[in-house]
Amino acid sequence: METLLGIVGKDYTLLAADAVSARSIVVMKRGEDKSRPLNDHNLMVFTGEPGDAVNFAEFIQANLKLYEIRNATPLSTKAIASYTRRELADSLRSRNSYAVNLLIGGVDPKTKTPELYWMDYLGAMVKVNHGAHGYAAYFCSSVFDRHWKADMSLDEGIALLQKCLHELRTRLVVNQSVFIVKVVDSNGIREIQV
Amino acid sequence: MDYNGAAIVAMKGKNCVAIASDRRFGVQAQTVSTNFKKIFEVHPQLYYGLGGLATDVLTLSEIFEYKLSMYKLREGRDISPKTFANLAASTLYERRFGPWFVEPVIAGLEKDGTPFVCGMDLIGALNFATDFIVSGTAKEQLYGMAESLWEPDLGPEDLFEIISQTLLNAQDRDALSGWGGVVTVITPEGATTRYLKSRMD
Amino acid sequence: MADRYSFSLTTFSPSGKLVQIEYALNAVSQGVTSIGIKATNGCVIATSKQTSSPLIDDTTIEKISVVCSSIGLVYSGMGPDARVLVDRARKAAQQYRRVYNEDPPVAILVKEVAQVMQEYTQSGGVRPFGVSLLVIGSDSTGHYLYQVDPSGSYFPWKATAIGKNMVNAKTFLEKRFSANLERDDACHTALLTLKEGFEGAMTESTVELGIAYSEEVEVTDSSQPSGKRRERRGVFRKLAAEEVKDYLANIA
Repeated sequence: METLLGIVGKDYTLLAADAVSARSIVVMKRGEDKSRPLNDHNLMVFTGEPGDAVNFAEFIQANLKLYEIRNATPLSTKAIASYTRRELADSLRSRNSYAVNLLIGGVDPKTKTPELYWMDYLGAMVKVNHGAHGYAAYFCSSVFDRHWKADMSLDEGIALLQKCLHELRTRLVVNQSVFIVKVVDSNGIREIQV
Repeated sequence: MDYNGAAIVAMKGKNCVAIASDRRFGVQAQTVSTNFKKIFEVHPQLYYGLGGLATDVLTLSEIFEYKLSMYKLREGRDISPKTFANLAASTLYERRFGPWFVEPVIAGLEKDGTPFVCGMDLIGALNFATDFIVSGTAKEQLYGMAESLWEPDLGPEDLFEIISQTLLNAQDRDALSGWGGVVTVITPEGATTRYLKSRMD
Repeated sequence: MADRYSFSLTTFSPSGKLVQIEYALNAVSQGVTSIGIKATNGCVIATSKQTSSPLIDDTTIEKISVVCSSIGLVYSGMGPDARVLVDRARKAAQQYRRVYNEDPPVAILVKEVAQVMQEYTQSGGVRPFGVSLLVIGSDSTGHYLYQVDPSGSYFPWKATAIGKNMVNAKTFLEKRFSANLERDDACHTALLTLKEGFEGAMTESTVELGIAYSEEVEVTDSSQPSGKRRERRGVFRKLAAEEVKDYLANIA
């Protein structure tokens, strides 16, 4: 029932997650931020069992922070994604595995190259230009295929995201009225209203 | 084994071998990406493909990269196809009672130029073939195509044509694989990799 | 002061020496001589197995050991210490076979044994091995003769000797060795070298010989249309008493 969306643009990645915290059929909260900044230029959005997902995201966040303190240098988006994937893959074969799906988006601050990684709870990972998790994937993959193009400006990216959200609001039975949308570019991570 | 989908095939030729795979990454019926790597290079004379659960394809390829790098440093030489086949098999058998859900396909030329292809099941039971090896959700279709198209002593160009047709026509009849293909032909002079366009439905 | 460094722990002396290792080498140089020669078509090791009393039944004593089907070794020094190393070498070879389904290359096996010997110079509660080894074997890259010392260092040789008479034996080998020596000649030369300073009579029961070489054999191979394939493989074997006897007959 949860939604994650990600788009790669010219020099940014755009990540969106629904802000609904639901338990069974009851909506508990409409302002849940399902994202965690991993460092200045990398952001993770995640879904899963609420306790698990937040715990896992913050575990990754903390370990990457520790890496930065120890080595005085941040990891690249690819390295972050590979590390996170390995944690999930190892977890899968442990007694209590994490059931967390996620998108990791980032920008190399020097080359301004944006990257987006799609990852599921099994630890299957793939680098994509656009990605979605949850029921939204059924509705938005086709929207992405039709309208995504390389080197989109931020306005074009936001317009594409709005197309996706519009599709969800008209066709998905579940009402996900609130989304938290964040942009990662060479200036860092910021939230935007769409 | 049927969660992500794959079509992988390797064939022997005359003084050459070829290995090919589809490029789809999907979760059951839903396609997520069409550039997923399922074939990996060990060295220019040895390639392998992994078909099965995508997370294990990634993990196992990382394990092999580690083991092969350590082998090269320790022994100061490239591993031979036969030795790699045994290394892969014993790596899989290590997890006999909690296996990696992956069926590897290996293709390469031995040092003396002898073509080598082999496959194994997910716990490392080796199958050394005289002709071809298949793996993935399109295994049955690949067997059918390979069985009817393959013949002994194909040269590199003919082998490329045969393996490409085998792959494309097999994956078109499998819902979980397809969406592009990649073919590598290995000759004593080196390996050439070509990407195939295919039906995207 | 010097005897401060004489206890079991291998400790640096102020001059930078590890006297325990030097003592171990002394134990080796009191051991029975062993000879190794690399020939054009294989390698040879030889040793004598004199017993301290004629009452000992020497028919079951073996100083040359088979490590795996392509590698073997001989030691000079303390027999019981050598047995530990032979066990470890055999285990390492089988572990390698377990992973790759083939015998280890000689260099890999030697490295493994040398690592064990090195660990015994740095670990707590142990002493270095009182043996040097001559390891011979044949693999896909050729055939080799290695010497491994108590420190864990190892060297490939064309011909060498360890044990009691090693200095004289090496001088002898320097004169006798030539690059185009064949395995048969090498066996002969090894026995001649051993003869220098041999105590007692040289007979097939007081001399041991081991050889390593490669041979072409036919193996079953299901990946070939014929179902079989010819392949070169390394062989190590000890010479039988009759074979040793034949070589001894040619020695004056």
